[in-house]
Amino acid sequence: MNANLRRNWLLQGIASVGECGLFFVAVLGALPKSLRYWRETCRQVWFVGAMSLVIVMTCGLFVGMVLALQLYYTLSIFGGTAALGTVVALSLFRELGPVVTALLVAGRAGTAVTAEIGLMRATDQLDAMGMMAVDPLAYVASPRFLAGVIAMPLLACVFNAMGIFGGHLVGVTWLGLDNGTFWGNMTSTVSLQRDILDGLYKSIVFGGVVSLIAVFQGYTAPPTSEGVAYSTTRTVVFSSIVILAFDFVMTAFMT
Amino acid sequence: MNAAADHVETADTLVRVRGLHTRIGAKTIFDGLDLSVPRGSITAIMGPSGTGKTTLLRHLTGQLRPDAGSVVVDGEDVPKLSRRALFGLRERIGYLFQNSALLTDFSVFENVAFPLRQHAKLPEELLRNIVLTKLQAVGLRGAAQLMPSELSGGMARRVALARAIVFDPMLILYDEPFVGLDPIALNQVLRLIKTLNKTLGITSILVAHELAAIRQVADRVYLIANGKLVAQGAPDELAHQDSPWTRQFFGGEADGPVPFHYPAPDYAIELGFAEPAQ
Repeated sequence: MNANLRRNWLLQGIASVGECGLFFVAVLGALPKSLRYWRETCRQVWFVGAMSLVIVMTCGLFVGMVLALQLYYTLSIFGGTAALGTVVALSLFRELGPVVTALLVAGRAGTAVTAEIGLMRATDQLDAMGMMAVDPLAYVASPRFLAGVIAMPLLACVFNAMGIFGGHLVGVTWLGLDNGTFWGNMTSTVSLQRDILDGLYKSIVFGGVVSLIAVFQGYTAPPTSEGVAYSTTRTVVFSSIVILAFDFVMTAFMT
Repeated sequence: MNAAADHVETADTLVRVRGLHTRIGAKTIFDGLDLSVPRGSITAIMGPSGTGKTTLLRHLTGQLRPDAGSVVVDGEDVPKLSRRALFGLRERIGYLFQNSALLTDFSVFENVAFPLRQHAKLPEELLRNIVLTKLQAVGLRGAAQLMPSELSGGMARRVALARAIVFDPMLILYDEPFVGLDPIALNQVLRLIKTLNKTLGITSILVAHELAAIRQVADRVYLIANGKLVAQGAPDELAHQDSPWTRQFFGGEADGPVPFHYPAPDYAIELGFAEPAQ
C-alpha cells in the first residue's frame, strides 16, 4: 500500500476488505492440505464449540426467558397468549439463535483466536513453521476457519434448545399457560425448511465470517503488544457489524 | 563481482550469493552483496545493527525474495524455486530463530518431534528414539516433558537447536544464537555449534555480535555494512586488518564509518543558536 492510500481511511478500509478477500481465497486454497491436520481441526472445534457451551447455554436460557416474558405481555394485549410457544420458537430459530450465538462466539472464541495467532506471529512461530516446511495457512489458519464453520450451527442449535426451554419455564411453569397449547401451536406452525434450516444456513455463514475475521486479524496483526490488542478489538467490532449486516441481507433474501 | 569473494570460491560451495540487491520500503538493504560459504565450514556474518543480517538469512531460505541477484543454496537458485521445491530445500536447512520460536502449545518433546510428524511417517518408537537422541545431544533429555513456558532462555534455545537438527540438515542458520544468554548458557550453545559442525559436518552460518564467541568457532567472518561486503577473512586476521570498518567494529569504537549520531539537521540551528545559511 502506498503512503497516499494509507492516509485515506476510506480507501484503506476498502483495501483491507480486499486483503481479507484474498486471504479468504488463500485459506480456501489451503483447506485440502489442512485435511492432513484433522487432529488440529478437531482440537479447534473443541475449543470454539465445546469451550463456548457454558456461555451459549446460559445466554440462550436467559434470552428465551426474557423473550417469553416480553411476548406474553405483548400477546396478552391482543388476547393471543396461546401463540406464545410459536413466537418464541420463531424468533429464536429465525433470528436470535444464529445472531446472538454468532455475537457470543465472536467475543468468546474469535478474540482468543486473533490473540493466539497474533502472538504466534510476534514470537516467530508462524515463520518457524514455514521454515520446517509446514504451511502455516494449512496448519494454523484453515483448521480454525473450518472449526468456526462447523461449530457455529451446532452452538446455535444448543442456544435455540435452551431458549425454548427458558421460554417454556417462564410461559408454562411460571405464568401458567397450558403445556399442550404451548407445544402444540409451536410444532404445528414452525416449519423445518422455512424456519429451522434457514436459521442454520445463517449460522453457517456467520461461523465462516466470524472465524475468517478472527484468523485474518490475527494473521495480519502487527507483531507488538499494541498491535495484537488492536487486532483483538477489531475482531469483535468487525464481526459484530458484519454479522448484523449479513443478517439483514440474508433475511431479506430468505423471506 | 567481488574479487575477494572469488578467492574463497571452491568447487564445494554450499551457498553462493551474487549481486544481491534488496530494498524494503524506501530503505536499501543490500546493494550488490557477494559472498560464498564452503561446505562444512562455520561462517559468521557480522555488521552493525540494521544492516540486514537477518534479511540475508531470510533470502537464503526463500522467506524473502531479492529485487535482483542470485542466491544459490546447494545448487538451487532459491528465488526461482517453486513453493514445493522451496519446502523441499527447507527440509534440508535448520533455522535457529532469535527468540527460539518454540510452539507454545506443545511440550519440548512434541516441539522436537513436530517436523518429523509432519514429513516422515515413522513408527512411534523410532520417532521417540530420534527425538530423545537429539535432546540428549543438547543435554535436555530430562526436560522432554516440560512446556516451553517452563524453560529458561538458554534451555529454549537448545530445544530449538534440537528441533533444527532433527532432520540432520546440511546447513544450519543461527540468527543471533548468543543474545540474552548468561555466560554458562552461551558457552553451552557455543560448544553445541562446534560439536554439530565437527561431528556431523553441518555447514553453519552464524549471525552474531559476540566477538569473543565468534573467534572461538568461526572459520571465516564476513563483515557487512551499507549493503555491501566491507571486509572478510579469518576472525583473527580480520581483527588486525587496518580498515576503518574493521577498526571500528573490532575495536568497538563508538564513532567511525558507522556514525554515532543518527542523521539530523545541524545541532546549533535546531537549538536556535545559529541562523541557517541562506
